Amino acid sequence: MVPQDIQELLLSGVSVLVGTRDAALMPECTRAWGIRLEDDRATATVYLTEATSGRTIANLQDNGLIAVTCCRPTDHVTCQLKGQVRRIRPADERDRDRRLRWHRLFLDELMAVGVPAPEAEALITDPVVAVEMIVMDVFAQTPGPGAGEKV
Amino acid sequence: MESRLLQLEDLWACFHGIIPAVIATCSRDGTLNISYVSQVHYVDPAHVAISFQFFNKTHKNIAEHPYACVMVLDPRTMQAYRLYLRYERSEFAGPLFDEMSLQLQAIASHAGMTDVFRLRAADVYAVQRVEEVQGFTALPTPPPSERPASLFVARELEALLVIADRLSRTELLGDLLETSLQLLDEFFGFRHSMIVLADDRHRKLTTIASRGYRDNGVGSEVGYGEGLIGTVATAKRPLRLTGLDHTLRYARAVRERAEAVAGPGAVSREIPLPGLPGASTQIAVPLLARGKCLGVLSVESPESLTLLAREETILAIVAGQLAAGIDHLGRDTEETSDPERSKEAESPARSARTRSFCFFHADDCVFVDREYLIRNVPGRILWRILKQYHDEGRVEFTNRALRMDAWLGLPELKDNFESRLILLRKRLEQKCPDVRLVQRSRGRFALETDSKIDLSEKPA
Repeated sequence: MVPQDIQELLLSGVSVLVGTRDAALMPECTRAWGIRLEDDRATATVYLTEATSGRTIANLQDNGLIAVTCCRPTDHVTCQLKGQVRRIRPADERDRDRRLRWHRLFLDELMAVGVPAPEAEALITDPVVAVEMIVMDVFAQTPGPGAGEKV
Repeated sequence: MESRLLQLEDLWACFHGIIPAVIATCSRDGTLNISYVSQVHYVDPAHVAISFQFFNKTHKNIAEHPYACVMVLDPRTMQAYRLYLRYERSEFAGPLFDEMSLQLQAIASHAGMTDVFRLRAADVYAVQRVEEVQGFTALPTPPPSERPASLFVARELEALLVIADRLSRTELLGDLLETSLQLLDEFFGFRHSMIVLADDRHRKLTTIASRGYRDNGVGSEVGYGEGLIGTVATAKRPLRLTGLDHTLRYARAVRERAEAVAGPGAVSREIPLPGLPGASTQIAVPLLARGKCLGVLSVESPESLTLLAREETILAIVAGQLAAGIDHLGRDTEETSDPERSKEAESPARSARTRSFCFFHADDCVFVDREYLIRNVPGRILWRILKQYHDEGRVEFTNRALRMDAWLGLPELKDNFESRLILLRKRLEQKCPDVRLVQRSRGRFALETDSKIDLSEKPA
């Protein structure tokens, strides 16, 4: 189960990075546009656009292995979730509200660290594929002592 | 699809750490890791470097399985690019390491975390593929032509940087002169070059170093305003002659013919200026420091279109540095090691040859084995050294003691002692290699010889 402090982190405007790999062990990275930890605190949903994450989605369909790093730009508080994908589906209405809320917070974070509004707002975060994952391991990744430790 | 293959240089705006990059790796058993990298450094068109600071998962994974996918963002438009990398090597020293390490140290010292932020290595990766991530930003990608030339340093500038660095490290005037000619040859292909130093009092220029000539010509003289070099010294401006004047070639031909007829053993008190028999172009640039001309740097080439405006500019830049160095090292002759001590000369082996030096008081000339060696102040310096060696068995000398010797006739200010000594040393190397003036440290030197030395004098 994901600890409560990490649950709180995931509710903020974190930057979301997704890592996968193919059958030949070639890694692939992409950015996701939002994350939502489900109430059971054992599953999470990340949102990808197909245009920017084609190879990531193909890898997930192939082996389901996923690593997600979430970092809050203003204070660098970071965690990494590793797990297995349960389902890949088009985003629905319920996802839309979650994503819009995250997007607002994320833009605030970006502008707070100095990204000009026109650049931050130019990021294309639609249309979206929802990736549901079972969280198997959680790691603290905030830079400094303790980074990389399992929580 | 792209109409043109992306080059690493096209991503220049991504390599400044303005937006952190992302790196994905996996272990040998396929376990994933994804994390931030504060900066991806451009190394060359096929390589990037990533700092290795901590023994983390990324580092462990790369050691097991050397592949990574990195995503960088252009801060101007938020355009994303993926780089597919293969780890190649770790650098623990050298220019790349130093640059990355210094950046990190500066950041760390700001944050008061010097020990935590320490560069362990600059990990260099080969870039296997560069991919523009389509559909990431609504802003248009700036065309590659927008990249400033200042980011990717031109080869010439890099070479000039190396020369500047090497020259600034030299501690002795002789090294400065030799190193500059050697580097100009090595980096820019100036095969035939020389440096002449100005003697304001006598309004003449004396060759002190040369490279790429049959005879090094050290000690040869040219008057202010005479020929290309003399003209440059007076005008204090660079001069470039392409398609050298026929008269010049004619004059050289005459000299060569005269030498051929008279034979190499001919007694002459003039040392010919170094020159290429078939020179087609020549550039001479003044060595200016504090507005004064300290000498001239000159290069020649037998090919007509090789020394052009570009070469003139390069030489002028190096000449500026050379002049600053000559100005500094020529003046500053403080000794750098233990105080003066006098050592007894060891007697040369019984079978050693004898070198006969003769001093002509009429014109301060020294001959060795009846051949002209050197004259004027360097001639007197040599005579003083040889006398002390011969009469007192002294082998170690200091600039300071010699400078105080009134007989040498050095001017009180700006005596150019160091350059006169270099001249003397080189003339000996050429005409009498078994008698050597070996630099011990700044301001100190020793006389070394394998020969027996015999001295005689001719009164005025």
